[in-house]
Amino acid sequence: MTTSPYCTIGPFFPRKFVEGCSDLTSFEGRSARGRHILLTGRVLEEGGEPTRNTILEIWQADANGIFRHPLDPRSADADPGFFGWGRAMTDAEGRYRFLTVLPGPCRAENGAPRCPHINLMALAIGLTRRLVTTIFFADAPDQVDDPVLNCVTDPAARRRLFPARDPSLDADGADGYRFDLILRGENETPFFLD
Amino acid sequence: MKTASPPQIEYLPYDDDTQLRRQIKGYPRSFTRTPSAPLIRRPLTLSELTGPAGLERRLEVGDGDMSRAVAGGSRALGQLIRVSGRVTGEDGSPLAGVVIELWQANAAGKYIHEMDRHQAPIDSNFTGLGRLVTGADGEYKFFSIKPGAYPVMESDWWWRPPHIHFSILGPSWMSRFVTQVFFPGEPLNETDLLLNGVLNEDARQRLIFETEPTTVGTLNFLGFQRDFVLRGKHRTPALD
Repeated sequence: MTTSPYCTIGPFFPRKFVEGCSDLTSFEGRSARGRHILLTGRVLEEGGEPTRNTILEIWQADANGIFRHPLDPRSADADPGFFGWGRAMTDAEGRYRFLTVLPGPCRAENGAPRCPHINLMALAIGLTRRLVTTIFFADAPDQVDDPVLNCVTDPAARRRLFPARDPSLDADGADGYRFDLILRGENETPFFLD
Repeated sequence: MKTASPPQIEYLPYDDDTQLRRQIKGYPRSFTRTPSAPLIRRPLTLSELTGPAGLERRLEVGDGDMSRAVAGGSRALGQLIRVSGRVTGEDGSPLAGVVIELWQANAAGKYIHEMDRHQAPIDSNFTGLGRLVTGADGEYKFFSIKPGAYPVMESDWWWRPPHIHFSILGPSWMSRFVTQVFFPGEPLNETDLLLNGVLNEDARQRLIFETEPTTVGTLNFLGFQRDFVLRGKHRTPALD
């Protein structure tokens, strides 16, 4: 069977579907374990113009690198205070904000270690399909050996997938990280084939 | 002793021939937002193969009746419709417990949204949004009213034909799916830049509802049907 055709999310995705989804630090009344982080930045398009009304979604492992999903052999030990999925929308300046936890290192299916990371996707007017990328966390980005990151061969593009730690963004006990998603143009974010 | 291993699902990249083109003439933002660099091929690991399963524990799910703003309240103006179908993988396996988010314009072609500048009335009995979870066989069903057409305010000619937006979450990060489904026989279907962004005729038909035979009874509605095939199929063992 052939997959159904994707189509753009358009301009009118209900605000109600975004409300309350950008804070991942609690689930069913429990607080998430680990270091809480504020991940924020702007979504920009060609010419450095802000891309307002973009819907971003993330999927990530908990602080111990466990996914809340039956495919993860460690899922029984997933943090009961962390679901791992979130959604945010950009404002008129293209700015978004997620409050989440720093993901722990996880493993690929074949057991190879993966650098702590967050899966990110963007939906917006003008995008007929979603765009997917991955944000990585490491103290020494140039030394990271990760099977997905290694597919990005241009060193400058690789570095763009690491958010900048920015203490001026620290708030409510969360460590601030800045990550700009550049859909097209100068310093374009690398995106993966979906 | 062998432990039962979870099903292995294979995800191949979308087939471009059966999808909308990424850049569409006359759809300006598709040229400023589509990345210029080629998309990078990557392996799929546990991280991409998992995804938000059981999202109904995190998102509020409704009663499947979008034709009223509140349960038991008055019906919205417009043609009452019932939309149903199934969500499956590429191998036809039903996708149960998948969250479907729906949004649409009211009968006058107006969304309740700050970005909507169309001068058409809001219907106080219609919110235009709903959220469902698929059943054990991947089935879904909801009531609503037929949406109206509306002008694209950034254009000087483009009217969107009536359509309903679907956002489908699950079972994995790879199967996340968003689309719009159109009504059969609408003249505006012929000129819509998005619907006609699918060049393959068979694929384009999969973005249009099928009509159900009409019935007359206690609750009278027109029935529309649309199945969705999400990416992903069970891996078949290699032949020796």
